[in-house]
Amino acid sequence: MIELREISKTVTSGTEPLTILHSLTLAIPRGQFVAVVGPSGSGKSTLLGLIAGLDAPTSGSVIIDGVDVTRLDEDALAKLRGEKIGFVFQFFHLIPSLTAFENVAVPMEIARMADAGTRAKALLEEVGLTGRSHHYPSQLSGGEQQRVALARALANDPPIVLADEPTGNLDTATGRHIMELLREIHRARGTTMVLVTHDADVAAAADVRLIFRDGRVVERT
Amino acid sequence: MMFVLRMAVRETRAAWRRLLFFFVCIAVGVAAIVALRSVIQDVRAVFGTQAKALIAADVIVTTNRDWTPTAREILDRRLAEAGAIARTESIQTPTMTRPADPSRPVARMVELRAVQAAFPLYGSVGLEGGQTYSHALLKDHGAIVRPELLTTLGVKVGDAITIGQADFTIRGVVISEPGRGMGQFSLGPRVIVDFDDLPSTGLLGIGSRATHQILVQVPDEGVQSLTDTLRADLRPEFANARSYRSTEDQIGRNFERAENYLSLVGLIIVILGGIAVSSVTRVFIQQKIRSIAVLKCLGARSREIMTIYIVQVMALGLAGSLLGVLIAQAAVGAIPLALGSSSSILADAHYGVTWSAATQGVAIGVLVSLLFSVVPLLHVRFIKPSLLLRDESTRHARDWVGMAAIVLVAATLLAVTVWQASSLRIGVVVCAGFAGLALALHLAGQGLVALVRPLAQSRSFPLRHAVLHLSRPGNQTRVILLAVGLGAFFIVGIRSLQASLLDEFSVQMAENQPDMFLLDIQQTQVDGVRAFLADPAVGAEASQVIPVLRARVVAVAGRRTNLDGVQAVRERGGGLGREYTITYRDHLEANERVTDGEFWSGPSSDLEVSVEQGLHDRFAIDVGDTVRFDILGVAVSAKVTSIRNVEWRDSRNGGFMFVFRPGPFAEMPQTYVAPLKGPSDPAARARFQHDLVTQFPNVSVIDFHEILDSLRVVMNQVTLAITVVGGLVLFSGALILIGAVAMTKYQRVYEAAVFKTLGATTRTIARMLLFEYGVLGSLAGLIGSIGAVALTWGVSRYALDIPWRVFVGEHAAGVVLTALLVAAIGVLSSLDVLKHKPLATLRAE
Repeated sequence: MIELREISKTVTSGTEPLTILHSLTLAIPRGQFVAVVGPSGSGKSTLLGLIAGLDAPTSGSVIIDGVDVTRLDEDALAKLRGEKIGFVFQFFHLIPSLTAFENVAVPMEIARMADAGTRAKALLEEVGLTGRSHHYPSQLSGGEQQRVALARALANDPPIVLADEPTGNLDTATGRHIMELLREIHRARGTTMVLVTHDADVAAAADVRLIFRDGRVVERT
Repeated sequence: MMFVLRMAVRETRAAWRRLLFFFVCIAVGVAAIVALRSVIQDVRAVFGTQAKALIAADVIVTTNRDWTPTAREILDRRLAEAGAIARTESIQTPTMTRPADPSRPVARMVELRAVQAAFPLYGSVGLEGGQTYSHALLKDHGAIVRPELLTTLGVKVGDAITIGQADFTIRGVVISEPGRGMGQFSLGPRVIVDFDDLPSTGLLGIGSRATHQILVQVPDEGVQSLTDTLRADLRPEFANARSYRSTEDQIGRNFERAENYLSLVGLIIVILGGIAVSSVTRVFIQQKIRSIAVLKCLGARSREIMTIYIVQVMALGLAGSLLGVLIAQAAVGAIPLALGSSSSILADAHYGVTWSAATQGVAIGVLVSLLFSVVPLLHVRFIKPSLLLRDESTRHARDWVGMAAIVLVAATLLAVTVWQASSLRIGVVVCAGFAGLALALHLAGQGLVALVRPLAQSRSFPLRHAVLHLSRPGNQTRVILLAVGLGAFFIVGIRSLQASLLDEFSVQMAENQPDMFLLDIQQTQVDGVRAFLADPAVGAEASQVIPVLRARVVAVAGRRTNLDGVQAVRERGGGLGREYTITYRDHLEANERVTDGEFWSGPSSDLEVSVEQGLHDRFAIDVGDTVRFDILGVAVSAKVTSIRNVEWRDSRNGGFMFVFRPGPFAEMPQTYVAPLKGPSDPAARARFQHDLVTQFPNVSVIDFHEILDSLRVVMNQVTLAITVVGGLVLFSGALILIGAVAMTKYQRVYEAAVFKTLGATTRTIARMLLFEYGVLGSLAGLIGSIGAVALTWGVSRYALDIPWRVFVGEHAAGVVLTALLVAAIGVLSSLDVLKHKPLATLRAE
């Protein structure tokens, strides 16, 4: 369960303060698939960052499974992310110096999971990359990189997956394939999923759609 | 921890090529430390085992005068008490020698040593061609000589040479001799003859400069007490005793000092490598920002991530250090090959890297790598995972932890330097000096970069961008300027200093200045020598013949200084108790002026002395004080009536610390010296020396040209040694440069792709690189040269007291060569930047 209580975010743009997210209260029940839709700069990614504790809100609080993440220090936040949150980015953000297999194994190694290697192999198989596990990111196509990122997001079997425009940097067919994988994961694991996109077709698959404009939710369907 | 280790291994696997050069820098420095320490320890071990051979005895007693009956009585008694096993006498004196064959008009100053049958008590005399030394070789006017004398005189084994009034047959060639110090300054090559034949030369006359030695062998337990008693008993006789142990201690101290000083040189190279490590870590972390953000996003804590990189840096530091030990092993192992079949004591050492040197080197390599990477690694704490969602600059408040780390690192570096120098004072001075130099080079670098900035407005596209690149974010300009500039500074500085010194000596020997010095002219020979020199056929210009006596200060009764005996004078230190050459005359020379009191005119029966200004300053001896001298055993008290300033550079009439009023001295035994301008043609000079010595066999000639030559050889060796050090620093600089190019290559490849897309040809980009590194190299060379100008000024003025000269050629060559070197290395290591196809590069971005 994710609860957002009157959160807002203001940044300084040059010398002027700029509110990129206006006061927002929202509850996302366990297992829900939420799509956050809106044009660039509407505050979608900011919302995702606040949920994951990557960023601190200017006001309000973010509560995940009863824990107020805005009160946690950096190390506790890192631990929380490692255990509860999987992240998928538009630009994949794989570590270029590690192979696909190692990229997937890293979160489990951080969490000191015993069978990290076996699980990493299984996850790569799940996203259909068995034969590519010893390739470096630079040797993989965009779609393959995003599948590795997806496998990495699932590594610690997190109850929450946050995806920031996961298809934004891919061609249509590959994007569609990634979305199928995401939906499959959601269905099979009952994962709470928050997906940021500005593609209406992608958003159509979600249980709930939040439409953002200028830092506010203007529509909820 | 497993995660940290695994990640460290993976990161190293990916980045080692880029980081390699920086750790090769560490390797070079470690190699320098390990090799220098090892060699000195190896050689020292030999000296430890052969200490007795170094002085050829257990105890050696030395005096500059004939042994008095009192001294002999003391010696006999003390040696009997100590149960001496053997004793032997030896006399050493500088003198002239020439071929006995009168058709060969050459003569050469040599260091003659007359020895008895028991010599040497320890060690052995090494002869050329495997010939075995025995005293029989010397019997009946036999001599063994150093090989260089054969060449100078054009004689060979079997030929006869004349020493003083006697002829000797050369029966062997000396390669090594116990008791002959390494690198000891000598006036000429060694000639060894029989002790009993010495009187026949007639060289032991009045005022001779002979050193008399008694070498003693005693049971080991008696060595120290015998040395101590003899030293105390013989002090009034102006004789000194030392044991092989004190020699060993002295040598040990010298070795230790040499080892510590040389290690500091290695340490400076390691620190340069450290600065490179610091700079590369900073760039490395900048390039790793996203990966670090991802790791944080996946749950890794800052501390874990920092540990990953620290482990990585230490692993590379360790690898670099081990490589350094291997390089040192190869270099040290090659020494026996370089020494060849030399029979010097150096060839007896077992050359290899010692454990203590290797351990120290590796410890320093790893420690310096760690120290210099900690501060840039602390930046990991400020990397926010949110930058994966939104590009944002990481701004942070004042970083107290970072500052504390800088202070801690500085303190540790100071501690390492103090440890390596084995001296707090030297450690602090070296650290302060290096920090000052680095700061000066840094500021100079900034100033020069600012100075060339207007070139960024240049009409030439490549030049404009080359200049802009020097101040691009993440540039390595400062580090390269520091490392390459420092190397250039060492080399140019030392070369100019050498040129300056040689120039100074040449000037001193210029027109009208004496370039020969006649010594030991006996009173009876003065008129003869004058007549000889006056003969125009000889081709010499004598200024004058000066009487000299040898004296020691034994007491001072003065206003500010009161020393009531020999003991007090010795304890005063500073060299007051040494033997002085004195003269007497009734006028001031052209290079003298009185600064206090009044100079006498005419002889007087009252003893008066004029004291040199420096002596007056150092020992607080004033006008009105009374100084008591011992002149050849006669006690003489003289009143100081004037203080003289002597212009030492104008040595036409010599320079004396003490000048006496004529009077009672005319009656005392004395010798004469004559500074003169010899013939300029080398053959005429040789003939002059030969003819003079043939007529006056006991007169010695010091030829400044020969001294200048040997000085040039010594200076060339010193210059070579320092140039090697400078070369190592420059080499590190070149490695840092290659490394810096490798580090920033990704950015360059991308920029080159953009430029190519915008229409720049490969040629334009190549010129851009050439200009960039050319400007960088010129700046580094300029910094080095400016530093070198400052160095020569400081050393000339304060250390050597010679006029300051600027050698434009040396400096210009320094700047041009550095610029060429840096440009060549920069462009060559960027070649693949030129080769990349732009589209592939841009797609990859």
